Amino acid sequence: MPVAIALHGVSAGYASPVLHDIDLEVGNEVVAIVGRSGSGKTTLLRLIAGLVEPTSGTVDLLGVAPAVARRRKRIGFVAQDARLHPWRTVRENVTLPLEVNRRARTNGHITPDEWVARMGLTEATDAYPHQLSGGMRQRVALARSLVIDPEVLLMDEPLASLDELTRDDLRDELLRLWEGRARSVVYVTHDIEEAVLLADRVIVIGGRPAGVLGEVQISLARPRTRAMRREPGFHDLVEEVREHLE
Amino acid sequence: MIARRTLIDLGVALGALAAIAVILEAWTRAFNVPTYLLPAPSAVAARMATDAGVLAREGGITLSEAAAGFVLGTGVAFALATVMAWSRPFERTLFPLAILVKLTPIVAVAPLFTLWFGFGTAPKVAIAALITFFPMLVNSFVGLRSADLQEVAFLETLGASGREIFRHLRVPSALPYLFSGARISLNLALIGAVIGEWTGADRGLGRVIFVANANLDLTILFGAVLVLAAIGIAANAFVGAAERRLLHWHPIAVAT
Repeated sequence: MPVAIALHGVSAGYASPVLHDIDLEVGNEVVAIVGRSGSGKTTLLRLIAGLVEPTSGTVDLLGVAPAVARRRKRIGFVAQDARLHPWRTVRENVTLPLEVNRRARTNGHITPDEWVARMGLTEATDAYPHQLSGGMRQRVALARSLVIDPEVLLMDEPLASLDELTRDDLRDELLRLWEGRARSVVYVTHDIEEAVLLADRVIVIGGRPAGVLGEVQISLARPRTRAMRREPGFHDLVEEVREHLE
Repeated sequence: MIARRTLIDLGVALGALAAIAVILEAWTRAFNVPTYLLPAPSAVAARMATDAGVLAREGGITLSEAAAGFVLGTGVAFALATVMAWSRPFERTLFPLAILVKLTPIVAVAPLFTLWFGFGTAPKVAIAALITFFPMLVNSFVGLRSADLQEVAFLETLGASGREIFRHLRVPSALPYLFSGARISLNLALIGAVIGEWTGADRGLGRVIFVANANLDLTILFGAVLVLAAIGIAANAFVGAAERRLLHWHPIAVAT
């Protein structure tokens, strides 16, 4: 499996160290990063995106430095509770990534309008973000991060601020998306069940400064459905992740 | 919709003004108040009608001075705010200087400006620019810094340049602040122009008021003040209409 993301002996921090000696390799798979709040999950994601410089160690994205990968427009990024650009309509928000950094290739085979349709936002195409529900806003955030057809998708608790039912729906949406195109996904969450349901591998981080506490291979078959949460093996996996956390 | 709102605003303002006029008219008539103390609104109105040409011409001069000062002051303020939002060292250097400008009493420097720039248009524009500078600087700076950090991060992961982030995110984020700065600055610019004319000029509403004051010619004095108020109200309505148009996406603009 080709390695898309490679972190070797990475430490990072601001005034005090947040992450210490992290080794992580991600291929064409979904890796969930699980940890308590404030454990450095977001810093790890920002590190991969090159938004934070490591104090030591190296970060490789698709064989180059994160800054280079960014300039080539290879990274999709979805934040928690994305505020979007409130002065742009849904459609204009989705086309935004195509309007900046035009030197980079953007061979999105799927047009912005198709993304809007796929996310079930056709009726809201011309609506402004303040007219949308939280779930719809996150759908827009998802669409705009995918419109450049990124090789690497970084997601920072994208469903954390949504209500239970909306979360279930969007989770199904994500599972369906990942069946289609092979991508490297790093998915940060504090929800263990969500991590097990979505990921091929769950990596638990914790401590102060945070390091990798453990790793759990998720052997559940794909395609996955929300019904799998009731299978007997599912809870063993959840328990295994929880043990690493404690 | 926009035109209707503006009309309603104007209607309410005119209604209040009319009510005050009626009360004053009754007052001056009932107590026989001499014109050099408080002229009856009817007398002011009559004077405004006979001297309409003069008031329009002088009002136009004051308006153009204020407008030029507003454009100059807010333009320089926005440019400096951009530099300050860009780099902390610049912010640290420029902000104390800006506060110095702010704390300098305009009435103190106004005669100085007349000394430096003569009796023409220049010192009035300079005072109007000076007085509008600070509110616009603070609002632009805070506005440009108000961009959502998650959105900045999102654009950065797309390899957007600093200039693209500025254009697509920082400037639109700053718009609500720019408008509140403009609302304050616009009125200040008019006051600045009048102060400039007051301290030495041969034209403008400030000059009319100054001369009228010296001659105890209160009907034209009140007339000039009313013209000034009308210009101010019209300018505010104009900014309000532009704000509603440009900030339709903003929750506050939608709510009001």
